[in-house]
Amino acid sequence: MAAQPKPLPAHQPSYLEGGGILGWLTTIDHKRVAVMYLVSALFFMALGGFEAMAIRVQLWSPDNHALSAATYNAFFTMHGTTMVFLVVMPLLLGFFGNFLIPLQIGARDVAFPRLNAMSFWLAMVAGVLLHLGWVRGGLPDAGWFGYANLTERYFTPGLAIDWWVIGLLVSGTSTVLTGLNFLTTIIAMRAPGMTYMRMPMFIWSLMATSILILIAFPALTIGLIFLLFDRFFGTHFYVASAGATPILWQHLFWLFGHPEVYIMALPAFGMISEIIPAFSRKPLFGYPMMAYSICLIAFLSYGVWGHHMFATGMGPVADSAFAVTSMLIAIPTGVKIFSWIATVWGGSLRMTTAFYFALGMLLEFTLGGLSGIMHASAPIDLQQTDSYFVVAHFHYVLFGGVIFTIMAAFYYWWPKVTGRMLGERLGKWHFWLTVVGFNLTFFPMHILGMWGMPRRTYTYGADMGWTHLNQVETIGAFILGVAFLVFYFNIFKSLTSAERAPADPWDGRSLEWSTASPPPAYNFAAIPQIRGRDAWWMLKYGHAGSRGVAAYASGAAPSQPPPGEPLSVEHIHMPAPSIFPLVSSLAVGMIGLGLIIDWYRIILIGAAVTVLSIVGMGFEYADYGEESHDPEHAPSSGGVDVRKIGVWSFIGSECVFFASLISTFIVYKSRSVSGPGPQILNIPLTSVSTFILLMSSLLMVLALAATQRGDKLWQRIWLGGTAAFGLIFLGGQVYEFTSFYHEGMGLTTNLFSQSFFVLVGFHGVHVAIGVLWLSVLLVAAMAGKLGKSRALSVELVGLYWHFVDVVWIIIFTLVYLMQAVPGA
Amino acid sequence: MTTLAPKSDLAQWINSLFIEVTAWDAIILAIVVSAFILAVFVFSSRVGEAAPASAATSDLGLEIAWTLGPTLVLVMISVPTIRTIFRSQPAVAPAGALEIKVVAHQWWWEFGYPDGAKTSNELHIPANRPIRLSLESGDIIHSFWVPQLGGKRDVVPGQINELTFIATVPGMYPGQCAEFCGLSHANMRFRVFVDSPDEFAKWDRAQLAGPAAIPATDLLASNGAKLFANSPCTTCHMIQGISKGYIGPDLTHFASRTTLAAGVLKNTPENVAKWIGKPQETKPGANMPALLLPGPKMDALVAYLESLK
Repeated sequence: MAAQPKPLPAHQPSYLEGGGILGWLTTIDHKRVAVMYLVSALFFMALGGFEAMAIRVQLWSPDNHALSAATYNAFFTMHGTTMVFLVVMPLLLGFFGNFLIPLQIGARDVAFPRLNAMSFWLAMVAGVLLHLGWVRGGLPDAGWFGYANLTERYFTPGLAIDWWVIGLLVSGTSTVLTGLNFLTTIIAMRAPGMTYMRMPMFIWSLMATSILILIAFPALTIGLIFLLFDRFFGTHFYVASAGATPILWQHLFWLFGHPEVYIMALPAFGMISEIIPAFSRKPLFGYPMMAYSICLIAFLSYGVWGHHMFATGMGPVADSAFAVTSMLIAIPTGVKIFSWIATVWGGSLRMTTAFYFALGMLLEFTLGGLSGIMHASAPIDLQQTDSYFVVAHFHYVLFGGVIFTIMAAFYYWWPKVTGRMLGERLGKWHFWLTVVGFNLTFFPMHILGMWGMPRRTYTYGADMGWTHLNQVETIGAFILGVAFLVFYFNIFKSLTSAERAPADPWDGRSLEWSTASPPPAYNFAAIPQIRGRDAWWMLKYGHAGSRGVAAYASGAAPSQPPPGEPLSVEHIHMPAPSIFPLVSSLAVGMIGLGLIIDWYRIILIGAAVTVLSIVGMGFEYADYGEESHDPEHAPSSGGVDVRKIGVWSFIGSECVFFASLISTFIVYKSRSVSGPGPQILNIPLTSVSTFILLMSSLLMVLALAATQRGDKLWQRIWLGGTAAFGLIFLGGQVYEFTSFYHEGMGLTTNLFSQSFFVLVGFHGVHVAIGVLWLSVLLVAAMAGKLGKSRALSVELVGLYWHFVDVVWIIIFTLVYLMQAVPGA
Repeated sequence: MTTLAPKSDLAQWINSLFIEVTAWDAIILAIVVSAFILAVFVFSSRVGEAAPASAATSDLGLEIAWTLGPTLVLVMISVPTIRTIFRSQPAVAPAGALEIKVVAHQWWWEFGYPDGAKTSNELHIPANRPIRLSLESGDIIHSFWVPQLGGKRDVVPGQINELTFIATVPGMYPGQCAEFCGLSHANMRFRVFVDSPDEFAKWDRAQLAGPAAIPATDLLASNGAKLFANSPCTTCHMIQGISKGYIGPDLTHFASRTTLAAGVLKNTPENVAKWIGKPQETKPGANMPALLLPGPKMDALVAYLESLK
């Protein structure tokens, strides 16, 4: 053991200090980004809560006129959209995830800090776009799930749904970037010695969540793109009279939507798995099974989406399959609940507000899970779905499960984020008001559902016998409202009090508690070496926190910080702030706005600024790599370079993106009511351009080889050649598209044409982006900035380029070649 | 409109399944709550007290038990589930079934019988005979739900969904659209009358007959008939022998219905006047234009409509 080191200088500035407003606007510090997510989420939580209260006021009595039907429909739509996209995900991922991941894995920031900030600003732009209807055009009013074909312009004219589509596309982009960032961070930036089985549970849950985000959001993106094309460009992806089906929307939406609820639930599970051990002063029971169950839940969540569609008439085989898979997913979930209780069992409990909320979550979430088992049984679900019973179910899991967890997490991690404690007395009031209000509001909904009350109805008949329970629920909602006021007051009081929180107020088990409260910008003066699970507990008490005897040091203060603290932190070089995340997000917002209000110039300017900002961010990232001690060679805990993991993650999500487009094409190609079909395709011509695209992959390989051996001349030739071949391919597509147009097949001609053009068109956009990327690298090469040490940059574009080629091979086979096969 | 008082074979199967699952849920809840109470209040200490004995972080037996146990329960639930799924969705109509075509519109229901009878918003069916509803949409997705007669089935444009059941107890059972369909989704209600076979036959014959003759003494209704025949109402509403519109409900036997505006208002003269005068007040977004007639004309029209038994 080393001698006690000299302490660091008295005042290390925390991440919150310095920089002024510009500092916050240009920050790429994950902790500052987290705090910005927090502030916006708290605002939208109040807004969504207000919408809920208004709903409950309207439902106080039958034939009530507190809200008009139009306002009511907008409010329940916005309540759902706001809570899911602007509150829960931003809190779990944007706030808690962002703040804690680097601190828990022993890193100084996330893998891509500029992308991280861009995710936040995109989320802000999305929040504004979703609410701009209030100023012009009306708020979205077709439900948070926006079922086609109600959402077609014919049935819902005006701007409301347009705001919704664009807002969600921007929000989805923000979330996908976050998922990519988190997955890469967790794989690549764990401190030395932190194997997967030594990670905190919250990190496990975020790893699974990030994968879910990457493979679920593209389905929503495609569904929204189809709706956008229908509303703006006259296609008929969801119009039955053209041979299409509105059920396509439901499949795409729920392929996203069910993983989405696990994107919300899994991080909550991860947090509970840390909070309960902390206040039981005992390690988590069954850590390996808890990790595996997270993975299993994530995997299974992708196979249950049809249980939202039991009433649509999918047929008994599909109904049975989805019923069985939906029941299966209950098993790993049950394992978690039992393990949490077993963690409490035999513990030395500290009954704090955080622990109260965690314990409350166990019971409320169990109730939600039990009603979920009923929903899994398709025949029962046919009575319960679209009634207040399912409203009860999902509020028990999302509020009783996720929000209760978020509240526990607030009380637990608030000292680390702000350096203050949330008041315990106020906290207990907050807790009990929440429990009473929540159950009073939502338990009777089970009964109302069983008594036949449908959901999404702005009023109900006096003779239905539903009045009294509705009134009970409204009273409960007001009690909940008071609970939230107490919560906001607790926050206000804690921020305005002088009392400072210690670094480790709860005698915590994970690494974030080893830093100051709040931490300095660089997180750790020295990256710790990890020797086991519950890394901080091990560093403090010196013995294995993960099995056998735990230190039941009943309430004793933690021991001295681990030895080996360096004398200075001057060697730490954090990346500089950047204006590009904010600028690029505003530019994306401009594209969306221009599309809706028909100002094409704004679209073009927005697109140009977006591209330039992204290129700017790329150069900033590269320059930072040069300045600091060579992070490109920094050991990655995943064994693969950080940026490569990022590109692979992106490719993973792109697989789902193209799979959705290709599946739609396959389903729709022979359902056209009239007009040309696959016979119009020119296979010989397209074979030539396919060959050229494949050859471009060869040139790409040659470009990488040239870069790796430092051959400047051939590097430029092959890079330029790859881009040129890409352009030739695109030229062939332009020729093909215009010739189809002249032969009478435009975008909106029929189902075959629209599926074809959207699929092949989006692929072409991907090729174009690749050409742009290659051009940027070519310019860098010609300026002498793409030497051997930067071969990875070429490898990355190569990965992307080859992927786009592989997708083309699939498209060429399924779209073109299959037509040559009779009966295909 | 409860799901807990099944009045058909389908509703009965679902209710039995529901009771089974509720029983299992109750057992699981009891186990979880007991374990919770024991863990929090009995087998733990509070910080500052002497530590309790158990410090286990794994127990293979326990982990196997709480994985296998729920699995077995779920298997036991899935077997009757799958059986009920297949039983309740026969591929073809059962022998002797009465096949009724249901068309859902924003925001009303159209019912058509094999013998050509047509009505709206109030469905009559005979008890103890298989009923096969074929559900079609005139515009967007709706959902047909009569809780006492079974689970709901969505009505989807471009496909025909079926709902098959046998109503076992005569009575009146309310139903409501159960898929959000726009402004007046809450006002798209309907009623199902399960009649004895004789009553049903009588009702069916009455529906097939032409409109009731207006008594010669009823001048008000006669005037109303003339008003109707020359009004824009004929564009959308059919009265057999008088008008041919089919965009809105068939009114030939309007007065035989207990409610109007798709189950929202009781069928009384005041309500008819209220509905015709300002439909959007009862049903926001209703496609029916307001017809603000002066008092005497409205009385005449209402009298005519109420004569159409």
